Amino acid sequence: MTDSALPLAGLRVLDISSFIAAPAAAVVLGDWGADVIKIEGPDGDPNRRIMHDSSNYPKSPVNYPWQMDSRNKRSIVLDLKQPAARAALDRLIAKSDILICNFPPLVREKLKLTYDDIKPVNPRLIYASLTGYGEQGPDRDRPGFDATAYFARSGLLDAQRYEDGPPGVPGPAQGDRATAMTLVSAILMALIHRTKTGEGSWVGTSLLGNGLWSCGVIAQAALVGAFLGPRPPPDRPRSALGNIYRTSDDRWLQLTIVRTDKLWAPLCQALERPDLIDDPRFAAEAERRARSAELAAIFSEAFARKPYEHWRKALAAKEVTFGVISRPQDVPDDQQAVACGAVVETAMPDMKRTLANPVQLGFAKQRPAQPAPALGQHSDEILGEAGLSAAEIVALKASGAVR
Amino acid sequence: MSEEALPLAGLLVLDVSTFIAAPAAAVALADYGADVIKIEAPGEGDPHRHNYKRSATYPRSDRNFPLQLDGRLKRSIALDLKKDTARPVLEKLIRRADIMIVNFPPPARERLKLRWEDVEPLNPRLVYCSLTGYGETGPDRDRPGFDVSAYFGRSGILDAARYEGGPPGLSLPAQGDRATAMTLVAAILLGLRHRDQTGKGSWVGTSLYANGAWANGTTLAGAAIGAKMVPRWPPDKPRNALTNLYRTRDDRWLQLLVVRDDRLWDTFCRAIGRPELANDTRFTDREERKQRALELHAELAPVFAARSYPEWEKALANTGIPFGVIERVTDVVDDEQAGHAGIFAETANPEVPRTVNNPIRLGFAKPRRSGRPAAVGQHSEEILRELSYSEAEIDVLKKSGALG
Repeated sequence: MTDSALPLAGLRVLDISSFIAAPAAAVVLGDWGADVIKIEGPDGDPNRRIMHDSSNYPKSPVNYPWQMDSRNKRSIVLDLKQPAARAALDRLIAKSDILICNFPPLVREKLKLTYDDIKPVNPRLIYASLTGYGEQGPDRDRPGFDATAYFARSGLLDAQRYEDGPPGVPGPAQGDRATAMTLVSAILMALIHRTKTGEGSWVGTSLLGNGLWSCGVIAQAALVGAFLGPRPPPDRPRSALGNIYRTSDDRWLQLTIVRTDKLWAPLCQALERPDLIDDPRFAAEAERRARSAELAAIFSEAFARKPYEHWRKALAAKEVTFGVISRPQDVPDDQQAVACGAVVETAMPDMKRTLANPVQLGFAKQRPAQPAPALGQHSDEILGEAGLSAAEIVALKASGAVR
Repeated sequence: MSEEALPLAGLLVLDVSTFIAAPAAAVALADYGADVIKIEAPGEGDPHRHNYKRSATYPRSDRNFPLQLDGRLKRSIALDLKKDTARPVLEKLIRRADIMIVNFPPPARERLKLRWEDVEPLNPRLVYCSLTGYGETGPDRDRPGFDVSAYFGRSGILDAARYEGGPPGLSLPAQGDRATAMTLVAAILLGLRHRDQTGKGSWVGTSLYANGAWANGTTLAGAAIGAKMVPRWPPDKPRNALTNLYRTRDDRWLQLLVVRDDRLWDTFCRAIGRPELANDTRFTDREERKQRALELHAELAPVFAARSYPEWEKALANTGIPFGVIERVTDVVDDEQAGHAGIFAETANPEVPRTVNNPIRLGFAKPRRSGRPAAVGQHSEEILRELSYSEAEIDVLKKSGALG
């Protein structure tokens, strides 16, 4: 497969965005062949430092989050507050197909980066906008992060808590990365529109909109006035046979037994508690439901006696249905994670594996990840391609507008 | 805006799928103009039609609210694919279709002759979109995948989403399904672009597992190179007191997210009415604030507990300090900002008068307004007539039970 056969080969993307959701959308376009130019301010995208700055990121000597969100991009430093840099940007816009922007609306206005500013420069351009909370309304200028806009504001975290417990916790960039796929879809819709009409367009999405789409069932329920309270904690579940249990090595197993009458005896055997099979307290489903806390306590004590691997095998041997709660550190070596295309090899010696975007195509393979660019690594080359002369580039650099 | 101007107008989509992720992708295509035909079993139809009554994790309602979300703007043909007489009908539909979405597990596809290699000869221009739980190959490819197991459990999200010492995190019904739907839409659109470029159809697809792994990608990319996993401390024992949850006087949770405390520390101390903290030698720089997170938390918790969330909202507004509230979904549906962001839409169905838009916004087109979702087989006869079946032929199919 040559790069030219990739579905987005020949398209130029300007990634004028920071952190994760919008840059990750640019990554996906790059995975499928687009030429992605990352435009950064003199300090660079703060995502270059997030692994150190955020307490929630696993720590490593390799800057893996930056590598993941910037693979296959080139970097140019433009100080867009300087008119000379802003003018150079217009030269790039004139030669591009897609521009991705996630500045808050006020900053866009200040930098003359709204769609209205840019459309005259290139009417065929697809302008992809990501905001935290939408383009209008009282909170449109509020900076949005995935923990706040996607997870908290949407009601997801409140719904993800156990009764009386604190709100749920999202993983780093979890909602950002889901949102990236929406932004990619929006951009591809605009490409179809451009093929049909010859015209560029504005497309976009918001973190809040994606969070609400994701919790659509409960949001749609709320729209008709239906609501379900928080889930009871594991020590007093609605059903002890549809509950989670901690193993002796601090792992968790999720029993997902629906046909409880059929699986009651095999479960008791797997748990080495055959005495429970004919225990009149738990003789039938009605009793097991009524005494679910009592039963959960007995099961908790049983599961706590042996490690996860033991229980996994013991339950499978008796054909008792259960769900696996993998630890992140198990996933990269899970054969199935490789089989479904999630974990892939890179072209980088210090980061041999990474996560592919979840799209699979029968006619093309995602480009292997090359190292993320250093800040401004490709400034000269990119300006040259935009038609600036060597003298112009030197002048821009001397003025500090470009680095 | 006329319907012809919608970007997917004129495309015929066969939704041969059940439950949520794949049907929700078909909904997004319908929202933007595609003609979506849902092919489902006669009688009960897609089992998702009954989730609102059967699933213990769904809020109770006598109205089929999930169907508005996952069945809107589709026509329904009830076809028993196990019957030989149904096959010619399906093949006629496949010949006319542009896109076909399938989520049967691989063995069922093989049995029903619904694999890409089975249908490509019928329509080489077809974009065949596959959703699986765990991928198309590998030891678990035949395992039925649901979002709680394949997207959330297997990908490590639930384990990562737990507080130190606590149980795994919780996911909501269809939470990962709906995120996965957006990936399916992207895959389908890439397939359409490839068809525009080459004239050829193709196989495209994704899996719930790969989408969960992608959502958990930051953590997994770290795990793949042996990065040290970090536990999530509960809100009363944070590792960073400036990116933490605080309970307010009115029992809400305020989410503080001062990521750029290198810039915002002074502003923050003033905004919360504790300007002297900015000069507190215990907290002069980022490193110290992190190392002394528990001490800083002890300073901040009573500050936040002293005022209600609306008071905090006023105090922090226009300071540049990122914060939010742990919102309740029952409030969000009336959130003015959600209205501005185009998140909810009015329907023409009086039973479910509002629904959730798909999150794609286009400057050149608005999503179609939805009416009442189709009943099982509501359009069976209409669709067969479009395929030039005579009334007599339709009768025979109905009598044989192949058509419902």
